[in-house]
Amino acid sequence: MDREVLIAAIKEIAAPYTEDKTALDTINEDTDFIKDLKINSANLVDIVLDLEEKFGIEIDNDSMAKMLDVKSTVEVIEAKLAAHDRK
Amino acid sequence: MIGNDIVDLRKAALESNWQRKGYLTKICTFNEQQLILEAPSPVVMLWLIWTMKEAACKIVQRKTGIRSYVPLSFNCETVQTDSSAAFGKINYLGEVFQIRSEIKKTFIHSIAVSAPEDFEHLQLHYLPRSAAYKEEFNNLSKFYLLAGTPSGLPELTHQLTGQKHAVSISHHGDYLAVVYSDSLLLTD
Repeated sequence: MDREVLIAAIKEIAAPYTEDKTALDTINEDTDFIKDLKINSANLVDIVLDLEEKFGIEIDNDSMAKMLDVKSTVEVIEAKLAAHDRK
Repeated sequence: MIGNDIVDLRKAALESNWQRKGYLTKICTFNEQQLILEAPSPVVMLWLIWTMKEAACKIVQRKTGIRSYVPLSFNCETVQTDSSAAFGKINYLGEVFQIRSEIKKTFIHSIAVSAPEDFEHLQLHYLPRSAAYKEEFNNLSKFYLLAGTPSGLPELTHQLTGQKHAVSISHHGDYLAVVYSDSLLLTD
């Protein structure tokens, strides 16, 4: 899946959890969920659960550990989707 | 070092559906889930345990300089509560942090330190949440100057000695807490 498509999906999922709509509008690979989007850490798990539902993947704890920014999140989704395709 | 975390219960009720499928299992160990589900108020126990974990996490992140999202690695070993306070221990990969918490009607706040005696000289200020909270703190404080480093970490300097003291700031919703130590320094 194209990175742009994945970032757009992450943007849509992160939207309800951020109050910083300006930062959301300029979301890119370098965007940090907590520092830039000011998302509460208790809501990061919602983003992980929403991504699991949207992409039909299972995100393990080691992968979740990295999901503090858009770039790492894209990489986790790509890896999980690739693993899924191989099955 | 000090870590602290605050949860505005009104905001948490709006923002988080902790009963959502998969939510608790991703952030709480089996024992913690049991503590929560068996508590007189599960939602209060959840945010109590969460703030304990987050307070300890802030010490680890500051010490190591590494950020990662591993709530299950911060294991609440013990927690004892009455209606307005709690104390407990968080174990992170064998390192144990001491936690003290306040449970109010509208918010829950936890402080983490490494050793029990570190609690002795701690100062806690709740301030109204505003962009000018540093100025507010500095107006109230006789000896300390609160500033931020370029990387966004708080820095507290004693103006007579010039020493940098251990400090931690947390905010959520309407609440902001500043915790610092009269004895522990930034490097302790």
